[in-house]
Amino acid sequence: MTTKRLKIALTKGRLQEKSAQLFERMGLDCTPIREPGRRLVHSIPNYPLDAVLAKAPDVITYVEHGACDLGIVGKDTILEQGRSFYEVLDLGFGRCRFALAVREGSNFYDTYKTRRVATKYPNVTRRFFERKGMDVSIIKIEGSVELAPILNLADAIVDIVETGATLRENGLIPIEDVAEVSARLIVNTASMKLCKEEILRLIESCKAHLEG
Amino acid sequence: MSSVIPTPEGTRDRLFGECRERRYVQKRLLGLFQRRGFGEVSTPEVEFYDLFLASGNPMPQEQLLKIIDRGGRIMVMRPDCTTPIARVAASKLKHLSGPQRLYYDQTVFRSDQEHRGGRSEIAQCGVELLGAQGLRADVEVLALAADSLRAAGLKDFHIEIGHVGFFRDLARALQLPQKDTETIRSLIEGKNFAALADLLSPYRATVPGRALDRLPYLFGGAEVLDEAERLFPNSGAIDYLRTLYSSLEAAGYGGDFRFDLGLVHQIDYYTGVIFRGYAMGAAGEVLSGGRYDGLLAAFGPDTPATGFAVDVDAVAGCLSPAEPIRPTLLIHYDPAYLSAALAALDAAPPGTAQLSPCATPENSRALARSKGIPTLLLLDGAGERREAL
Repeated sequence: MTTKRLKIALTKGRLQEKSAQLFERMGLDCTPIREPGRRLVHSIPNYPLDAVLAKAPDVITYVEHGACDLGIVGKDTILEQGRSFYEVLDLGFGRCRFALAVREGSNFYDTYKTRRVATKYPNVTRRFFERKGMDVSIIKIEGSVELAPILNLADAIVDIVETGATLRENGLIPIEDVAEVSARLIVNTASMKLCKEEILRLIESCKAHLEG
Repeated sequence: MSSVIPTPEGTRDRLFGECRERRYVQKRLLGLFQRRGFGEVSTPEVEFYDLFLASGNPMPQEQLLKIIDRGGRIMVMRPDCTTPIARVAASKLKHLSGPQRLYYDQTVFRSDQEHRGGRSEIAQCGVELLGAQGLRADVEVLALAADSLRAAGLKDFHIEIGHVGFFRDLARALQLPQKDTETIRSLIEGKNFAALADLLSPYRATVPGRALDRLPYLFGGAEVLDEAERLFPNSGAIDYLRTLYSSLEAAGYGGDFRFDLGLVHQIDYYTGVIFRGYAMGAAGEVLSGGRYDGLLAAFGPDTPATGFAVDVDAVAGCLSPAEPIRPTLLIHYDPAYLSAALAALDAAPPGTAQLSPCATPENSRALARSKGIPTLLLLDGAGERREAL
């Protein structure tokens, strides 16, 4: 099959700068990603790769439907949305804790009352407590999850924790890890088969230029 | 006030060209299946949930579309075609001797998560070869799979073959605990190179450990068999794939097939070769199949079986869209000339002529103009005339 320009979906925000840094270590000219202007599709001038920036759940959607061949997305989103694609590489950056946090001084486990847990990640939370054999009532929150315990809407939260500063300032402490989170490189299953050479070349190059 | 009621999520209406594209693929596939000696079977669209539980390989419950019948029993909209056919084979076909070649043209139903753009209705055309095992049976079905995609009009496609025996051999050689086997299997299935390497690090020094670590990379041309052989010599599965490939290659199918030894999906279901078809233009597999010698024993006598299903709409989506058919002839007729009008209609290429419901030639002319039909045929007491509009 002929050499194809690959399309990659990058997660906007937290992972965007680190993804660009990785590409630069690989020798890719990332000017179009760093100075996107109004364009939505950014062609890398010195590598057969087009990049689009998207919100994390959309990265998965684009890759799953084959609209993009590859994607860079956090493990937290994969755990929440997880479906059919290849998760080929742990890119090592964007590392943070995915934790259960409670109000300081409260006793989360020591009660027979059904606990209320606020989260942006209802699926992950459900599976976490199912494994413990515990009934909880899950409340999906879109914005700042820390607010829910403060307003007494929830007894605990499940969320990603970068420094823990926001939690501390709001009187919350992480008491248990739910999963390890970092950025992952994902690949559409059909693209992997139809553009094997191009994709493996990119994976190997990423692998060779990971930090640390 | 009238209200517009939408179709349920994951379902859609298909109009004209879309139907023709789907029919074209179905017609080509079914014609080929018939020429290869397969006979059609059709099973109910709803079955008892128990059937799919008894198969030993139930789909996750949330993916099944369920109905409760009048007696309170749980029924499901058929989520796959093979399990009901295994039921038929174990009951209605059990007295027939020798291999059975069956094909189907049916819809399967899945309950997908909302707003994922997935399909709840999937049109499948597929075959099952029951009661035959070994090289000849596998070669017959694989060649048919390749010919099916070609007959359907695909040009840029290939079928990847794996064999569950290779993974099983490696897991056995490492004496992996059951739980780790499943974790490793799912990491290989997801081509999760990094996590797999971490999990296998205690086994890195062993021959099967190194082979398992490489397994997700072992996809591509026949050279992957050579690498597999070097990594873990004397695997019966690799020898078998090699024999299979030589037969296919000698018959001119070499270019259609590749390998993916990391195809370790549904390992409790598949018992031998497993294969997936990919085509330029499709985001997922367009064909999937394999050998499942264990399934029929769940319903009756132990019978070897193999087969595959083609995702009709995924294939149709890779083909160029059907040209719209435009009417070019409007037939205005006096009811006394109905038979002549029908004869003219039937003689025209399908879809290009239509009868006018108008009582006067003037109204028919206006109708033809409004629909952009260039020719009017008049059939009445004044004889047969054609008018260009």
